[in-house]
Amino acid sequence: MKRPGPVPRWARQVRVVLVKELVDSFRDKRALVSILLSILVGPLITGFMMNRIADRQKDADDVRIPIVGARNAPALVQWLSQQSGVSVAIGPGDPEQAVRDQTEYVVLVVPPDYAADFRSSRPASIKVVADGARADTQGQVQRVQRLLAQYSAEIGALRLIGRGVSPAAATPLKVEEVEVSTTQQRAAKLLSVIPLMVLLAAFTGAMQLATDATAGERERGSLEALLVNPVPRGALALGKVMASALAGMLAVMVTAGLCTALLRFIPLQELGMRFRFGTPHMVGLMAAALPVCLLTASVQSCVATLAKSFKEAQTYMGILILAPMIIGVMGTLYPIDNQPWMYGVPLLGQYVLLTSVLGGYAPGPLAFLVAAVVCVLTAGLLLRATVALLNNERIVFGR
Amino acid sequence: MIAATDLKKYFGAVAAVDGVTFTAGDGQVTGLLGPNGAGKTTTLRMLYGVMRPDSGTIEVDHIDATKHPRDAQARLGVLPDLAGLYPRLTAREQVRYYGELHGLESGLLEERTTELLRTLDLMHLADRRSAGYSHGERTKVAIARALVHEPQNVLLDEPTNGLDVMSTRAVRAIIRRLKAEGRCVLFSSHVMQEVSALCDSIVVIAGGRVVAHGTPDELRAKAGYDSLEDAFVALAGSGEPR
Repeated sequence: MKRPGPVPRWARQVRVVLVKELVDSFRDKRALVSILLSILVGPLITGFMMNRIADRQKDADDVRIPIVGARNAPALVQWLSQQSGVSVAIGPGDPEQAVRDQTEYVVLVVPPDYAADFRSSRPASIKVVADGARADTQGQVQRVQRLLAQYSAEIGALRLIGRGVSPAAATPLKVEEVEVSTTQQRAAKLLSVIPLMVLLAAFTGAMQLATDATAGERERGSLEALLVNPVPRGALALGKVMASALAGMLAVMVTAGLCTALLRFIPLQELGMRFRFGTPHMVGLMAAALPVCLLTASVQSCVATLAKSFKEAQTYMGILILAPMIIGVMGTLYPIDNQPWMYGVPLLGQYVLLTSVLGGYAPGPLAFLVAAVVCVLTAGLLLRATVALLNNERIVFGR
Repeated sequence: MIAATDLKKYFGAVAAVDGVTFTAGDGQVTGLLGPNGAGKTTTLRMLYGVMRPDSGTIEVDHIDATKHPRDAQARLGVLPDLAGLYPRLTAREQVRYYGELHGLESGLLEERTTELLRTLDLMHLADRRSAGYSHGERTKVAIARALVHEPQNVLLDEPTNGLDVMSTRAVRAIIRRLKAEGRCVLFSSHVMQEVSALCDSIVVIAGGRVVAHGTPDELRAKAGYDSLEDAFVALAGSGEPR
């Protein structure tokens, strides 16, 4: 029978440091408030954005078309009002001004000679007054244009049949769009804000504890006394990094939990998505995001140990947090196509994994493993750097 | 017992400690006396293992402290130059934290913590966070956490600096008690009365060197003055042994 050996002394010391730092920081009201805020900001922004997108999509389906000169084209007006989700209204006196004032997003103007042109099979002109600079009504304007094109094609086909020509002759091309992205992938593009929020939580959650336990410890003058205890510097650093990593993990779990819980309340079906978020997705999110907390905690601890004061450390924290933001912004501007090498880059790998999981096409466990191992190894290197700093008298005594 | 031999420490080209040798014995109070900037704190920092000497050796209870710093530190109780507390922890928690780092078993730790807080008259602060403590209270808590593992050797860097009369008396009482228990007590000070009232042996440091070493009487005799203060000025002022 093999019995497990006793827990080594340094491991118990790591636990002592870890527990003390957690207790200490959970009593720090300022830190708690800042962590709470940073945790709540993510879900709030996510919910707000998703709701707006859904609203806009809904607006595009239900269109109200004001028409000036409806009398000139009764057939068109009747056809329009028969289309689903379309209501026809009497147009304003000055269509261009109305659109410019944003009282109307689009106005159809039917000129008096429409009827004459139509009857004699000349192209009958019709004006669509719209403001191309307004992004929020683009969907609706496009809907109106599509409706007009459809009407035009239908009338054209009827005229050809009337002249004994097959409408097929006038349709040399039949354009078919093959959509390769799954609906879940399209959803992921809209959901791309969640990976950014989760990565940010890994930074903001760990930040306060990482600074307080290093730069704060020195600024309070308690570092020298702490170093007098017979504890290897590695155990001290590891305890502190683990404590802030746990705080980061807590923030990540709450952010991911709230963001995904919000998905239930958002009318995703109206975006044309059948997105079902289940336990496997949550496990995937955690597998991707939790290891990154070790990395954020260790890089923050290392940088904060290097800083000459608590204030200076906080400045550095603000710079560090740009890293996930840059990745998030790049990911939104230039859709990231997953390349295998990306899993080997800390933060980028996690971002790609999170996006994939939310898109419902998570890569195999190997990708998760590679990304996690890279994180842990980088964290290990940063931990060694922190230990080296704690062994440096210039750093400890601020010379 | 603490023995320092030819300790040297340079900060750049400046020799902060330039060949300090002395021994502090068990059951004795040894005073490290010197003007500001003489190298007292740097000497103590090397002794308690937060600075590495550039040369020289340190023995703590016959353990080579430069080779086995953690083993040596386990036998030391230290009030360092910077003895900050954690403002969000109570007095009891500060003492308990250090006891846990020393690996004390929890039952024994609770017992000792309570005993120390009682001895140092800190029971009223035991479960109050340290944010609002007075300077004297902070120093006493810092001493309590330094003594929780019952170290054989106690190093105190200017323990009475900035304390009022009552707190100063309390600290002196602790030092006498530690001596009576047979421990080796080494403390630094620039206050003459304190050193002469407490010390069995005095090491006078000036300019990073030991300029005199002996009992208060020996120092007075050596300098040729009746008052220890005059003797100190004569010894320290020269910066060279006489």
